[in-house]
Amino acid sequence: MTEVSLLSLVKSYGGAPALRGISLNVGHGQFVSLLGPSGCGKSTTLRCIAGFEEVTDGRILFDGKDISRKLPEKRDIGMVFQSYALFPHLTVAQNLAFGLEMRKVPKAQIAERVAKTLDLVQLTPYAGRYPKALSGGQQQRVALGRALVIEPAILLLDEPLANLDAKLRDEMRGFIRDLQKRVGITTIYVTHDQNEAMTMSDLVVVMFDGDIAQAGTPEEIYNTPATEQVARFVGNANILDLPVAASGAGMAEVTLPGGAALSVPAPATPGARLGIMARPEQIALADAGQGHLQGRVTRRLFGGGYIDYEIATDCGVLAVQTPANVLAGEGAAVGLVLDPARLWPVARDAAA
Amino acid sequence: MSRRRPLLLIAPAAGLIFFFVMLPYINVLVMSLRMPGADGKPYGPGFGMEAYAQFFAENYYLSALPHTLWLGIVTTAVCLVLGYPLALHIATASRRWRGLLYGIVLSPLLVGIVIRSYGWTILLGNTGVINKTLKDLGIITRPLKLMYNDFGVVLALAHVFLPFMVLPLLASLQGIDPAIGQAARSLGASRLTVFRRVTFPVSMPGVQSGCILVFVLAISSYVTPALIGGMRVKTTTILVVDALIDQFLWPFGSAMALVLAVSAGLIVIAFAMLTRMKWK
Ligand SMILES: Nc1ncnc2c1ncn2[C@@H]1O[C@H](COP(=O)(O)OP(=O)(O)O)[C@@H](O)[C@H]1O
Ligand SMILES: [Mg+2]
Repeated sequence: MTEVSLLSLVKSYGGAPALRGISLNVGHGQFVSLLGPSGCGKSTTLRCIAGFEEVTDGRILFDGKDISRKLPEKRDIGMVFQSYALFPHLTVAQNLAFGLEMRKVPKAQIAERVAKTLDLVQLTPYAGRYPKALSGGQQQRVALGRALVIEPAILLLDEPLANLDAKLRDEMRGFIRDLQKRVGITTIYVTHDQNEAMTMSDLVVVMFDGDIAQAGTPEEIYNTPATEQVARFVGNANILDLPVAASGAGMAEVTLPGGAALSVPAPATPGARLGIMARPEQIALADAGQGHLQGRVTRRLFGGGYIDYEIATDCGVLAVQTPANVLAGEGAAVGLVLDPARLWPVARDAAA
Repeated sequence: MSRRRPLLLIAPAAGLIFFFVMLPYINVLVMSLRMPGADGKPYGPGFGMEAYAQFFAENYYLSALPHTLWLGIVTTAVCLVLGYPLALHIATASRRWRGLLYGIVLSPLLVGIVIRSYGWTILLGNTGVINKTLKDLGIITRPLKLMYNDFGVVLALAHVFLPFMVLPLLASLQGIDPAIGQAARSLGASRLTVFRRVTFPVSMPGVQSGCILVFVLAISSYVTPALIGGMRVKTTTILVVDALIDQFLWPFGSAMALVLAVSAGLIVIAFAMLTRMKWK
């Protein structure tokens, strides 16, 4: 198990910065996701760690040792690519054996470790097949096995599930997480899918435009996002723009259009405006005239176990998610109840 | 209906191959089985194996066959050795360079074969550019034998057919996911090992088709060996043309052409089997 530290990592491509000095610590055996929209620098970060890109500035430490100048083959890394990148001319077993042969492991030991890993990734019956004759999910597991069989210091995965269909993706998500826990390997996982990042990770690192916007546990990222951008990227978010009526002791009291007052944990001066985030499932519906805010249902989408509402209010159109037994027809007037304990102030985007 | 369509689509190509490849071949086969003619007639009445018997009996003709096949193999090897690094370089070059290099590789095809071969005689002849320069510089006193021998023929053939090696190689190399090489690096392979264990084996389909193309083209070429080899390098193809056009021996020429085609076919099949890829 290895600890990975990025210290002010900068990567520019001919002057255009792809990474603007990111710092991050990944602890022993942790599962960390880099989450962000396409082009924000996730793969670049991974490729710098793997050694496929030379860093422009900053350092990469494995267990405190600087490896930024080491060749990729000397870094002891297992990597899984979005395209799987299996060796097409080698069988499944030969694909797995490749890394061990490079390490000059004795033949008998290679056979043993390959067999053990094939079992781990549930591919024993396919040992003699060529990659072409495997399904996407199976190829994915070969890639995973090939990276794990060498028992690398860290495991890097670059959008490994992006090419699978939805059902298989859910299955593989659980599979990878279980495997990672069993093997206990320090893992950095790149994805643009917030759901994937939230469900699998110990730590989620949200990136925008070559910078880390926030790093935290999935709960922290979801419930207490640092900025409006993070709030909106990680799940659905209503941001209410409200005036501050009073403040003190680190709390601010904001007033809603109907006159109702709520207090949120934020330092603010009276008269300023605050962006308050409420997740759709943190808003409850009540009869018209009750609750903190009044509105009218403009859309209702039945989702099976839940219902998604869109409700027009004096604070704009809000998304509300309720259990499936809460029924309000389209056009109905309703009251909205906010959960004061879960309201969270976020920094507004510059553009907003 | 939908199963018929592919058949319908290959019909024009199949027709073309039948009329312009199969029919002539059948014609050549029939001709090779005719009897030699008399009184300046290209062939006589009746059928027999006379032509084949004559070919295998006369060492002058028989010994040209292995020599021709050998020239083909050497030309192929030279093209592979020169073409592979070139293809590798083009495949990894930036887009701007790639277009330019592509053009340079294809450029020999833009010049007619006679002119191109004549160009080589200007370079390689006893009073050609190379010998003259070396003499003027005092490096040699007698001219180097650069043409009218196998060396000159292979050199000129390799020049002509290099594009036919590079293009399939390039197609193969460009089809390789760059992540495969990176995966190998991360597993502990050096750049050289990646080439030896991954890039080269995965590009095997290109190597195979490039080698077969160049070999077949080289053994059947006429103009280049005739011009560069002069009278001294006798390939079977040259002898076939001699027999058919100069000596008017149609059955004999046909038999020789068929023996060359079958020998080449056997070599191609053996090569394809040796380099068979189970993973394709
Ligand atoms: N080889 C390269 N040359 C130039 N620019 C690149 C290169 N690789 C990535 N970039 C740029 O760096 C930025 C980050 O890319 P990347 O790390 O691939 O993003 P993602 O988060 O989608 O994985 C993008 O703007 C991309 O255009
Ligand atoms: Mg990417």
